Amino acid sequence: MNKTLFERGSVGNMNIHVLPTNRFKTFAVSLYAGIPLNSKTVTSTALTPFVLRRGTSSYPETLQFREQLEHLYGAGFGFDVYKRGNYQIVQFRMDTINDSFVQSEAPLLAQTFNFLGEVVTKPALEEGVFRESYVAAERENVRKKLEAIINDKIRYAAERCIEEMFQGDPYRLHPLGERSDLDRITASSLHEAYQNWLQEARLDLYVVGDTTLAEVQELVSSSFALNRAAAHSYAHEQVEPVVQEVRTVSEQLDVNQGKLNLGLRTPITYGDDRYASALLYSGILGSYPHSKLFINVREKESLAYYAASRYDGHKGLLTIQSGIEIANYEKALQIIQAQLSDMRSGVISELEMSQTKAMLRNSLLEMKDSAFEMIAYDFNRVLSGKDRPVDELLSQVERVTPEDVVQAAQTFELDTIYFLTGKKEG
Amino acid sequence: MEAIRYDSLQETLYRETLDNGLQVYVLPKPGFQKIYATFSTKYGSIDNHFKVAGQEEIEVPDGIAHFLEHKMFEEPEGDIFAKFASQGASANAFTSFDQTVYLFSATEKIKENLETLINFVQNPYFTDQNVDKEKGIIGQEIGMYRDNPDWRVYFGLIEAMYAVHPVRIDIAGTVESISTITKETLYTCYNAFYHPSNMLLFIVGGVDAEQVFAWVRENQEKKNYQPQGDIERIFQHEPKGVHEKRRTSKLPVSLPKCLFGFKETQVGYEGAERLRRDLATKLALDLLLGASSKLYQKLYDEELISDSFSHEYNSNPRYAFSAIGGDTKDPERLLEVITEEIKAVVQSGFREEDFERTRKKKIGGFLRMLNSPENIAHEFTRYRFRGGDMFEVLPIYESLTLEEVNTRLREHIDWEQLAVSMVVSP
Repeated sequence: MNKTLFERGSVGNMNIHVLPTNRFKTFAVSLYAGIPLNSKTVTSTALTPFVLRRGTSSYPETLQFREQLEHLYGAGFGFDVYKRGNYQIVQFRMDTINDSFVQSEAPLLAQTFNFLGEVVTKPALEEGVFRESYVAAERENVRKKLEAIINDKIRYAAERCIEEMFQGDPYRLHPLGERSDLDRITASSLHEAYQNWLQEARLDLYVVGDTTLAEVQELVSSSFALNRAAAHSYAHEQVEPVVQEVRTVSEQLDVNQGKLNLGLRTPITYGDDRYASALLYSGILGSYPHSKLFINVREKESLAYYAASRYDGHKGLLTIQSGIEIANYEKALQIIQAQLSDMRSGVISELEMSQTKAMLRNSLLEMKDSAFEMIAYDFNRVLSGKDRPVDELLSQVERVTPEDVVQAAQTFELDTIYFLTGKKEG
Repeated sequence: MEAIRYDSLQETLYRETLDNGLQVYVLPKPGFQKIYATFSTKYGSIDNHFKVAGQEEIEVPDGIAHFLEHKMFEEPEGDIFAKFASQGASANAFTSFDQTVYLFSATEKIKENLETLINFVQNPYFTDQNVDKEKGIIGQEIGMYRDNPDWRVYFGLIEAMYAVHPVRIDIAGTVESISTITKETLYTCYNAFYHPSNMLLFIVGGVDAEQVFAWVRENQEKKNYQPQGDIERIFQHEPKGVHEKRRTSKLPVSLPKCLFGFKETQVGYEGAERLRRDLATKLALDLLLGASSKLYQKLYDEELISDSFSHEYNSNPRYAFSAIGGDTKDPERLLEVITEEIKAVVQSGFREEDFERTRKKKIGGFLRMLNSPENIAHEFTRYRFRGGDMFEVLPIYESLTLEEVNTRLREHIDWEQLAVSMVVSP
């Protein structure tokens, strides 16, 4: 009853992954729908889940829809739209209480599937297309979200850096799409785009909780009205990154604190055998409070409150972010670049190796305590085509040598330096 | 060691108060990989004026509790993050209005990590030099928050409500106030508030309770704490009514941010009574303003609110207030519509079926929270320091009546106690 491996099946060209366990008080359900990032479909795909969460055929009014979730003991329901490599992923999540903790008339897992199946495959319609009022309101909602990115300067700087770095690559696109597309989207064009999306997307449904694969497959068959011609799969082509020359971009806004972000490229992606070495590289450089960036930018020089790096193995991308006094730009940049150069030339201590391995081990082991994290880890397998169970990655991390990290370091090429700075006075 | 069983939750909590006054709680989660531990002192940004029995009354600079939290991580042998990293633990800390919490999560070396946590918090090491260095880092942290419109609108609301109560002081203080902090003032605060009798240790995860208690007892018996007198926290009388009806800050934002709330006139409730009032208020606000309320839907349909609209109720035995709002294109119109609708609901009261449904949602939310070791530790400690018991939440929700919630709504909505905070573009 406490399995550690997902059991796999398929219904209606949707892949099903179930982990039966009774360690949690809830059933965790995640549905991933992924399609290639494309400027033609990015905005309609992003807008779709916002409209789907307004009403279904059984609960066409938004109030009814939300009341039904409360009847299910306040089942958690949410969705996200994000990028993984060159794919745009729409993820729906539900988190429903296991019936053994409450008195419920009908089984909560079955009701959860009825609900999610309707959300995705039986939306509220009028005259055969989405409701005009829902599309209009959610268009405005997405527009506001896109416009609000600038409010959070940390996030704004991170996204601007990516945009500058990936000009001409679909990855430049924001997962919520482009404002200029919104005006052109109508209830009927969006409904058509939604039907194509439901045909074309690769669909993966995950459940972690006190259930079985057979039960989930039966529930899916009865609750999802899917009529898909094919299952589709994620492409796993390797792209060798080419950095021509380092670009420096500076932007002025009305801010107190400057944000210095760097973007680096690497050919090492999730499916690569050197993936564990790349994790060590980013860990030693900047993922932790013992890392070079935190120690040198923050602790030694008091230049920043935060200075960290993040490695994205699906895109082959490493980003560095820091918040600094505007006048300290040169000094902070020079210190950050010195850390990059130390990584390349192998200035890496045994202690940095062992600390980083211990931290990676901890975060990998901890995932097993969270249903949604186990799901997210397994989804990496689907996305990359690389089957690497947690225990295998753990032993790969243990085996990484300082030489491996130095070799990985040679592949990380600085591409873009982005600085968000204040407006000059007078 | 005393065991408390919560059969309906399938949880058992173990507790003991040690001879030196330290309260220790252990919640084993069988099957979990990690353990999560918090070591907390009932000391936050509001405790800036106090008197320890037998000592002199003292007032300390704004932001010192938070400053102290930063400085605790430095030990004579170096940064404590490095030690945690070597032991595979992820450590952190945070300071709020009324508590400071040190924490780690780990999947191995549990005894060593637990001892590291206890020992570093019980071993202050401040020097003129390391205090001075921290001012640069915290200065950047303050700068980061000054650029954050959500933080500014939230603090603006509290500043508008409270004339003298120190809850109105920014948790990190200001660059000016922290400039006056010295190692002597840090030791004074440390000695007053970090005595074991003012602290609580909570451990949750895959542990054996007996074993953990044995480790903690052994560790504490080696340290020679002398009994400490009571800490008298001195607060000036906070006048009835709000300090300012309205407060507006200028910051570049895509849409104005508008937050309003009611400052509670009746405070001073303790223990179970306060918890019950607290939960009744939260239920009332959710019924009034939650995503399934008619009011929410009306505001959303008129495009006066977006997904950012939220509400919270923050209560301590000494202060309590609600905070309601989000991004809006028209703050005046939003306030107008909300005022009118709230008046109507206060008049009519809530409907029985809405009450029952929202109660279910709250129960489900509480049960889902119990999946997360982090949330369990944080919530338990917060309730304990405010004189309540987190495990009473479920029975209280089950026993609350519609009448109680209606009464609480009518008490809380006192228009004389309304304050509004806005952030608008310059």
